[in-house]
Amino acid sequence: MALSGRFVLLVALGIVPIVLLGDSAVLGGWLLLVLVVGAIDVSLAGSPRAITIARDLPERVRLGETVESTLYLSNNGRRTVRGLVRDGWQPSAGASPGRRRLDLPTGERRAVRTTLTPFRRGERRAAEVTVRAFGPLGLVARQATLSCPGVIRVLPPFHSRKHLPSRLARLRELDGRTAVMIRGQGTEFDSLREYVRGDDVRSIDWRATARRNDLVVRTWRPERDRRVVIVIDSGRTSAARIVNEPRLDTAFESSLLLAALATRAGDRVDLVVYDRRVRGRVQGATGADLLSRMVNVMAPIDPELIEMDWSVVPELVRSVTSHRSLVVLMTSIDAPGASRGLLTVLPQLTRRHTVVVASVTDPSVLAATIDRSDRDSVYLAAAAERARLDVSRVAAAIRQLGADVVTGAPAELPPALADRYLALKAAGRL
Amino acid sequence: MTAGQTTIVTPSIRRATRGSLFWILAVAGVLAVAVIALLLRGLTGSGGGETLSATNAAPGGSMAVAEVLKQQGVSVVETHTLASTRAAAGSPTSTTLLIFDPDGHLDAASLGAATGLSDNVVLVSPTFRQLRAVLPVVAQAGKADATLTAGCSVGAATKAGSVSGGGTAYRLVGDAADHALCFASGNDAYSLVQVQHANATITVLGLQNALTNEYVAQRGNAALALNLLGADPKLVWYLPSTADEAAAIPTIAELTPPWVSPVALLAFCVVIAAAFWRGRRLGPLVIENLPVTVRASETMEGRARLYQRSSARLHALDSLRIGSIDRLGVACGLPRSATVDDVAAAVAGLIAADPNRIMGILVDSIPANDRELIRLSDELLRLEQAVSDAVKA
Repeated sequence: MALSGRFVLLVALGIVPIVLLGDSAVLGGWLLLVLVVGAIDVSLAGSPRAITIARDLPERVRLGETVESTLYLSNNGRRTVRGLVRDGWQPSAGASPGRRRLDLPTGERRAVRTTLTPFRRGERRAAEVTVRAFGPLGLVARQATLSCPGVIRVLPPFHSRKHLPSRLARLRELDGRTAVMIRGQGTEFDSLREYVRGDDVRSIDWRATARRNDLVVRTWRPERDRRVVIVIDSGRTSAARIVNEPRLDTAFESSLLLAALATRAGDRVDLVVYDRRVRGRVQGATGADLLSRMVNVMAPIDPELIEMDWSVVPELVRSVTSHRSLVVLMTSIDAPGASRGLLTVLPQLTRRHTVVVASVTDPSVLAATIDRSDRDSVYLAAAAERARLDVSRVAAAIRQLGADVVTGAPAELPPALADRYLALKAAGRL
Repeated sequence: MTAGQTTIVTPSIRRATRGSLFWILAVAGVLAVAVIALLLRGLTGSGGGETLSATNAAPGGSMAVAEVLKQQGVSVVETHTLASTRAAAGSPTSTTLLIFDPDGHLDAASLGAATGLSDNVVLVSPTFRQLRAVLPVVAQAGKADATLTAGCSVGAATKAGSVSGGGTAYRLVGDAADHALCFASGNDAYSLVQVQHANATITVLGLQNALTNEYVAQRGNAALALNLLGADPKLVWYLPSTADEAAAIPTIAELTPPWVSPVALLAFCVVIAAAFWRGRRLGPLVIENLPVTVRASETMEGRARLYQRSSARLHALDSLRIGSIDRLGVACGLPRSATVDDVAAAVAGLIAADPNRIMGILVDSIPANDRELIRLSDELLRLEQAVSDAVKA
């Protein structure tokens, strides 16, 4: 049951007979009349319970994109259902419009379209559909909520894919396959080919030249089929927002760019998201399948408010691969105290693998150190300097333990990490 | 497309009723008990607990006295308005009139009219204004003693002997031809004053308690009450009410047009209907777990406030200095292992400044107050600026 504005207006119209007739008995009579009319109206309304619903919904959407969710409502009742229908999406699914008019004659089917523009990563759900059917006079309505669950997976946006073409061009340069005549920078011998003007004279293979009476150069290519293991810390510190983006999301962006690059470069990428238990794992996927599996695994993961357990990480990496590999730890470098867990396990990792620790830095800290305009900002600058000192001390400790450190603001960390990967690959350190 | 096993979440009316049957029955039971209790209370009467009411069985009422008088053949009528009193009173000679008006509902004229209805009037605890209006020769005289003895010739008083006192005492202030004063409290104060006034006997009784159910059985209270009130075959027990007051002033209902109250009621109904119109949700709320929002800079800001609150100026300045020395060392091309003295010497050489001044800014000065802290922090900035300019040049 639900009343409409018309019903309220009808009750209010009772003022006319009451004032004209000036009798208090008129009030009771009017209210009775309104009740009777309302009862007749609701008894003539179509039954929302006689509606069956089917839902047509894409399985996934990238964050920031818009998709359409369609409900098909069929009326199996004896009367036309006229009224409102609402598809009960969670607020962050960004459903619009929230409610729609419905005119559904008996025995027919209508499509109700809702556009979804989710503004938060993860699984967005719609549990129920509510139908409100008004009577012919539009005074009183019958209302029922029908269960029709729907779920859409909102994938990480992968904004950093705009950096991918330039990094792939760099990769081709490394490969020696580029149009630019430079010497391939890899360490593995690839092949011999004829000298072309512009080639590095240092790469001329004199022995082959002597055999063929023609200048021949050696080409090199970077190593292939190496392993990259990305470990993402989804613990307490990854919930912190920097420039209104949680550290975890920046870590996802960085890993996606790195994985896209590494899989093109012929390396195998494995992903583990961990805090005190494995929250997500992608293993043994290659090519386009890798990225789609990664975003699928990442989508529903939110930071847990628990401390990251670093002691298990070496064992975790060993369970992924027994080969020497590039281990990328996506975490935060804050204070020496908070990073103790990371520092204690690093030697175990650096002994077998090349380790890169990637951390987001807060650009507001740098801004705070420069602003000294008044007393408050001087104290803030002191605290910011202190924070930077802490970070640099931890970074120095990590370097001392044989690992590499990549830091950057949220927008800069993904390309910085990709560049570091390319540099390691060029240097043949994988 | 996920096809159509549609289940209805909203319970049907029958299911909803069955689910909440217990509560519906419980509320109905409570209402029934309340109605029954109200009816029972209404039947046993008690006239709403009014003090000295002849139908009030509570300690403060006077049902005991009235009932005994009825058994003795006196017809007792309780009235609440002057008109009904006038109707109830028979001939003045055969009627005793009891008037008890502690709230002063009657004005002087009405009181005069009331006392004129009978030859035998008992004024129970009259107020100053009531005495001024009817019996100016009697005045209030403070509180009476706890126990009083008759000491006069009035029949009812002598039969009672001694009574439990309390209440108001009265004294005679003017000349009255025929009067009796009983139950003296000393200092010319009496609790019963009987005066012949305009062919009627008016008894002013301060012993209000003597009539109540609670005290009527003590000492001679019962004898006093019964003899005083049971002298005539008819007793009118007049307790003036608000109905006696200012009947001439019209009520608001009489002044307004007849449709005003129905319209007000209708407005109330409209508000209720509007509340249902706007308050009915289109389906249940959708629940979503939201992530925590933690700004990463909160620890930094918290530390800044801690420095400020504890006035840790040197500590704050040292943090700034460490950062500056670091950057200056890099700008001067010194290795990371360079000491502060090395950096200060290099800086002094680069910008041609006094090494002691540079050391003062970088290490030695201790800020005594916030102003000096700000000054030193500005000096650090200027020094960095000067060094970077010098390096560029």
